[in-house]
Formats: sequence, structure tokens, C-alpha cells
Amino acid sequence: MSVGDPRIRDAFIELADTLVADYDLIDFLHVLTLRTVELLDVTACGLLVADHRGVLNLVAASSEQMRLLELFQLQNAEGPCLDSFNTQSPVQCPDLSKVGDRWPHFAPRAIETGYIAVQALPMRLRESTIGAVNLFNDTVGVLDPEAIALGQALADIATIGILQERAIRRQEEIVAQLQGALNSRVLIEQAKGVLAERLDVSVDHSFGLLRDYSRDGNHKLRDVAADVVGGRLHLTARPPRERGHKATDPDNP
Amino acid sequence: MACVRTVGAVGAGLSLARGPDVREPVFATGRLSRELEELQYSLGEGPCVDAVQHDEAVLVADISAPDSRHRWPMFAPAAAELNVRGILAIPVRVGAAHLGVLELYWLTADPVDLEKLADALAYADALLMLALDKRGGVSPDLNGAGDGVGDGGLAEWRAEVHQATGMVSVQLGVGVTEALIRLRAYAYIHDRRLMDVAADVVARRLRFAPNGEAEGDSGGGTSLPDGPHHNGGSEASPSTDIDTEGEV
Repeated sequence: MSVGDPRIRDAFIELADTLVADYDLIDFLHVLTLRTVELLDVTACGLLVADHRGVLNLVAASSEQMRLLELFQLQNAEGPCLDSFNTQSPVQCPDLSKVGDRWPHFAPRAIETGYIAVQALPMRLRESTIGAVNLFNDTVGVLDPEAIALGQALADIATIGILQERAIRRQEEIVAQLQGALNSRVLIEQAKGVLAERLDVSVDHSFGLLRDYSRDGNHKLRDVAADVVGGRLHLTARPPRERGHKATDPDNP
Repeated sequence: MACVRTVGAVGAGLSLARGPDVREPVFATGRLSRELEELQYSLGEGPCVDAVQHDEAVLVADISAPDSRHRWPMFAPAAAELNVRGILAIPVRVGAAHLGVLELYWLTADPVDLEKLADALAYADALLMLALDKRGGVSPDLNGAGDGVGDGGLAEWRAEVHQATGMVSVQLGVGVTEALIRLRAYAYIHDRRLMDVAADVVARRLRFAPNGEAEGDSGGGTSLPDGPHHNGGSEASPSTDIDTEGEV
């Protein structure tokens, strides 16, 4: 990665293009995690935001692998994301095997899952922090300052995406909006479960089905999830062009 | 209602979902709250309606302000006529499982600060748990709701719980609200944590059957890691005595 990298330009154009009126927040954040993984050359990325209790919750991840999701979830108790959120500054850990007692639950689990280095960048909004971006790597080492700066820019874009249009927002409105985003994520997990059961696929796999359908038909991921959960839309595991049809068709896995 | 005192509101109303688009006011602290609820239902617009539609808490600093009148041309003037100023409407839900809306009213403008909002949201969570418990019939003691049922409460529910809810809804051919109720009832009856039951469902070690039997599959249920807890679903089934069409 270097600042001259045309992929950076392309990613920012892609993200800016997405941020038009009435965009698909969950898909936007998912794309952002994918681009972050590519551009920063990390293994995995997740976005966590705080709910009204101050508990960090995952809103988007570069992979829906259950083991990775668990690592993010673990951080409502301890871990680099929580530290970054609390201190409102970046947290860098080049080697999780050398952190001693800092994260007694998180560190061993991360290593077990195959990640050795971890970074967290705060998602800031003026004086407050709404969450943190979590980066995992399967090799030891820190990100260089250039990569950190780019990562922070991506984190800031995520914040803008979540909090949308209005330049000056009251804290209360922000909390309400974060709540909505977090519930969208819950809805998607429910939809993953519905698809996993109907199509006999893993929950890790079913996110891809939701996403393909939403992209193919230009539907919001959240709406697709709501329709799947509500029984109004039955997806099949067929190739993308034929995939998905409205509920008048019997479910045909 | 303790919620009203905590946030310093003048009144509150709670309406619960009866179906996908049907809500019914079930509780109001007084005449004012009732009138405001009824207004929104008859006009089909208002903060409560928006909270459901956009699945987000709606904060109204001042219902008599021009932007409120613009947003709700019929409801806003009518509410202002009743001397109401500030309104907060919070959806009571988890994912697609919509239980209803909690609405709070103030006679002063701009009444909601961050702390009050957090309190109100916490009450909405507690109401969600109460409604689930009531419909699941698992916790007749309302004071124990939300923490005594062995599921750690809403704040601790993780992805597996929501995934399992989706899976169980297909297994039973019911909606997600009902599926969540069944999951919690199963956890309660078997004295297990909701998280653990959910993990078993996601790992396909446990499935719910429409006839009321829950069974561990994959290997006939004999090699289940939590052996003592899974008696092949032979004792209390997840749907025993739970008629969720009951009153809330």
C-alpha cells in the first residue's frame, strides 16, 4: 500500500458514490470493511459501535465467519476495540502472544482463531467516539503510519456513513440512529438463521446469499433481510442470475 | 409507571404489536396519553408510526415547531392543541421481532437529554423482556423479568441468539417473535443459558419440531456435549403449555 495506490482512489470513489440519498447502510459498511482489508493488507476487519448502554456491538465485518464474529463480540468486555473506544485513540498490538494479562480472554481466543496482530482505530465524531474499527492480522507486526492514517480515514468515513447527512447532530439523535443501525445487524443475523435452516447451508454462508440478492436486485440488504425473516421472500442457493424470487414460488432449496 | 418518573415525563403510552401492521394501545398513564395514542392511530401519522416504520427511536424536541408540523401535518397541530411539546417514541423490538412502541410525552420543549434517552431505551429493553416473558408464560413474577431467566438479558445476547431465532422460526413455521419466545422458554424450562441453547441450535445439535418435541439430532443425541441438559426432548418440550397467542 502506498498513498499513490490507484486502489485507494477507486475505493474512495466507490464509497463516496455509495453515500447518495437513501443508501444501504449495512451494505456500505460491509464494502468498507472489505476495502479496508484490501488496502491495509490485513486479514480481517470489523466495525463496532456502542449502544445506549455503552456496550460495543458489531455492525459489519469483512467475513461472516462465526469464529471471527465471536472475537468481535468478546470485546464488549475486553480487548483492543474497547480500549480504543474508551481512550478515543488508536490501539496497536503487534504480537498478541506478548501482551501478558492485558486481555486474558481476548488474546488467547484471537490467537486460537489464527490472528496474532491486532489494531483498533476509534470512530470519532467531534469530541465523542461512537465505536471502533478492528483490524486483525495473521502475521506479527504493526501497520506503518501511512496505513494507520488511511485506516483512520476509512474509520471516519464509516462514522459519516452511520450518522448520515446533517452536519450538526445532537448526541441524542446519534444514539437513536446507532440503535437503528445495530438493530439492522440483529435483523441480518435472524435472516442468516432463516436461510441457513431453509437451505441447509451454514450461517457463515447465508450472508453471501442475502448480499448477492440485494446487489443483483439493487435492494437494501436490510430490506432483503426483513423480507426473508417475514417470509415474504424465499431465496434459493442457485447461481446469482436465477437466485431469489418472490414468495409466490414454493421454497425450493 | 416508573419510567415516567425517571425521565420526568408527564405521561407514557405503550402499544403492542398484534400482527405485522396491527398495533393496539395497551397502556396509557392518563387521559392525555390515551388521546395522543388514539390520534396517531386514527390519523395514521405521528412519532409512534414513524418509530415503527423506520425502526428507530424518534425524538421530537417540540411538536408545535414548524418542522414538526411539516413532518406530521395532521398530528402535530392536534398534539400541540393538547399542550404537549416534547415526544419520544421508542420501538420495542429485537431485529424483526417487533413487540410494540413505547411513547413518552412532556409539556415542555426539548425535554430529552442523553441520560433520559438512555433511561428510556433501557425501559424499552425491559418492556421487551416483559412482553416476551408474558407471551412465553415463563416468568409469572414480573419483577424477575430481564435477568432471572438465565439468558443474561438483551445486552448480552449475541449473534447466535439471533441466528438461532431465525432457524427456529423455520423449524416451527412461526414468526421470529414466537421463535424467540420458544427459545427462551426452552432455556428456562431446562435451566440453561439462552446463549448455550442458541449455540446448540446453530451447531445443529438441537432442533425444534412443530409437534412440540425438541430433539438433539446428529448422532441420535447420545453424544451431546451438554448431555445432562438434553434428554432428547423427552421431558418438557419447548412448546409445552405455551400458547403465545395469549394476551400481553
